[in-house]
Amino acid sequence: DGVAALPAPQNLSVHSTNMKHLLMWSPVVLPEETVYYSVEYQGEYESLYTSDIWIPSKWCSRTEGPECDVTDDITATVPYSLRVRAILGSQTSAWSILEQPFNRNSTILTPPGMEISKDGFHLVIELEDLGPQFQFLVAYWRREPDTKEHAKVVRKGGIPVHLETMEPGAPYCVKAQALVKAIGRHSAFSQTKCVEVQGEALPL
Amino acid sequence: EFQFGPCQVEGVALPRLWEAFRTMKDTVQAQDNITSIRLLQREVLQNVSDAESCYLIHDLLKFYLNTVFKNYHRKIVELKMLPSFSTLANNFLFITSKLQPSKNETLSASDSAHRRFLLFKRAFKQLEIEVALTKAFGEVDILLTWMGKFYRL
Amino acid sequence: HIAEDSSELLQHVKFQSSNFENILTWESEPESIPGMVYSVEYKTYGETQWLAKAGCQQITRKSCNLTVETGNLTELYYARVTAVTPGGRSTTKRTERFNSRQHTTIRPPDVTCIPTVRSIRMTIHPTLTPVHSGDGHRLTLEEIFQDLFYHLELHVNGTYQMHLGGKQHEYEFSGLTPDTEFLGSIAILVPTWSKESAPYVCRVTTLPDRTWT
Repeated sequence: DGVAALPAPQNLSVHSTNMKHLLMWSPVVLPEETVYYSVEYQGEYESLYTSDIWIPSKWCSRTEGPECDVTDDITATVPYSLRVRAILGSQTSAWSILEQPFNRNSTILTPPGMEISKDGFHLVIELEDLGPQFQFLVAYWRREPDTKEHAKVVRKGGIPVHLETMEPGAPYCVKAQALVKAIGRHSAFSQTKCVEVQGEALPL
Repeated sequence: EFQFGPCQVEGVALPRLWEAFRTMKDTVQAQDNITSIRLLQREVLQNVSDAESCYLIHDLLKFYLNTVFKNYHRKIVELKMLPSFSTLANNFLFITSKLQPSKNETLSASDSAHRRFLLFKRAFKQLEIEVALTKAFGEVDILLTWMGKFYRL
Repeated sequence: HIAEDSSELLQHVKFQSSNFENILTWESEPESIPGMVYSVEYKTYGETQWLAKAGCQQITRKSCNLTVETGNLTELYYARVTAVTPGGRSTTKRTERFNSRQHTTIRPPDVTCIPTVRSIRMTIHPTLTPVHSGDGHRLTLEEIFQDLFYHLELHVNGTYQMHLGGKQHEYEFSGLTPDTEFLGSIAILVPTWSKESAPYVCRVTTLPDRTWT
C-alpha cells in the first residue's frame, strides 16, 4: 500500500541498578510526528511453555519516551525476554527483541546513601530509601583501641533511626551495606562516617 | 529462603507468591463447583518428613508446571490474569531448577514421597480434565500454605 | 457467589475474621423485609455434607459466629445462607473458599508501657485465640504463626525513631531524656503471610529527674 514501513526501535538494552530495571532503546525519529512505543515481556516459563504468548508491560503498553521501567514486570530470578515496537497512528513497526535475556540477579547494587547525626547522647542514622526489597546491615564501633564492632539490621530506609546511646570520650563510627534477599546479594559497604559527643556520660 | 530437608532454595519471596495468587484466587475458585472433592488432601501433605519434602515438592511443582499451568494457560489468558500467573509460574520454575533431590537419600523417603504424589495425581486423573485443571489451580493456596512450613525469612 | 436463585434478596455472603474469630455476615436488598429469616449451613472443602449451624436457623439477624465450626487451621471451608421471605420466596448464596489462617486479620497487641526517669519499659501480653490445640489448650498467635514477631517504635520529638523488635515480650527503650513525652507504637508482624496488625499506641512521659533537688 506504498506507505513506508515504520522502522523498528534499535539498540535495546537494560540498565539495572538497585533492583530498578530500565529497558532503553534508540528512538524512532520522524519529523513532526510523535512516535509511541509498546513493550512486552516473557519470563523463562513463557519462553519454554507458551512461547507465542507475550505479556504487555505494566507501565508501557503505550509510552512516549525511549525507555520503560520494567521493574514490576520482572518478578522472579529467571531470565526474561523483552521486546519493543513503535506505534504511529494505526501503523506499528516490527518487534525488536532484547538480544540477551535479562536476569534481575545481575542488577548493580551500590553502597547505600547514609547520614548520621546525634541528638543528645543518641547516635541517629538515616539510610537511603531503596524500596521494599531492601534491608540494610549497619556496622558501628567506638573508635578506641581493641574496640568491638557491633552490627544491626535496619529494615527500612528513609526514616532516621536511633542506633546507639553514646558515651563521651571517643568517636563512634558507622558504615552500612544494602541487602536484597530476593536475589541473595548485598552491596559493598558505604564510606565510614564518625561522630562524637562531648560532656559527661549519662547516669544509669 | 526455602529449606526442604537437604534442598535449599534462595531468591524466592513467598509473600510475593501469595500476593500473586490472591489476585486470582476468588476468580478461579468460584469456577470450581465440586466442593466435595479436594485434590491436595490431608494424606498428601500432612506429617511430611524433611527427607521426603524435597522429593514431594519437586514432584508437585513439576506436575503443576508441565500439566496444570501449561493446560490452564488458555483460561488464564481469557481471565486476563497473565501477569500474576507469570509471577507464580516463573518462581515455581526457579524453585524446581534449584531443587536437587539427592539420589543416595534413603529409598524409603523418595518412595513414600512418591506415594503421596500419586494420591494427588490419581485424584486429579479421576476428574474431567477441565474440571481437574480448575480445581488444581484453585488449590495453589493449599500448596503455598504447606511450602510455608519450609520457609525462613 | 453461586446463586441458586437469581433474586437479589441476599448479597455479600462472606467471612469476616480477626484473631481467628470467624463471623459469617451478609446483607439483603432492600435493607430489611419484615419477617425475612435466614438459615446457615457450612461444610469442609473436600467433604460431601453440608451441616446446619445450630443457633443460626430461621434467624432474623445478618451474622452468625462460625468460629468453632471453622476452627481447624489446615482445613478450608464454605458456608451458605438461605434467605426465605414470608411469602415463601427463597434464595441461597455461598461464600468463597475460606481458611482462617489465610484470611484472618491481626488485631493490635495488648501492651503495658511503663516510664521511668530515663527509660520506657514495654510489656507485650500474648494474644490468646479461640483455636484449640490437640490437647485442648487455647493457642496464642505466636503458637499459630512460627515467624510472628513484634516491632516496636519510639518516636523521639518527631525527628527520629528508636526501634526494637523480636519474639520476646519485654522491651526497654533506654537513654531517654527525663520529663519528656514520647509516642510508642507496637505492631505484630507475620512476614510469611504478609500480615501486619494495626499498631497499639501509647503516649508516655518519662519521670522528672529529682536526684539533685
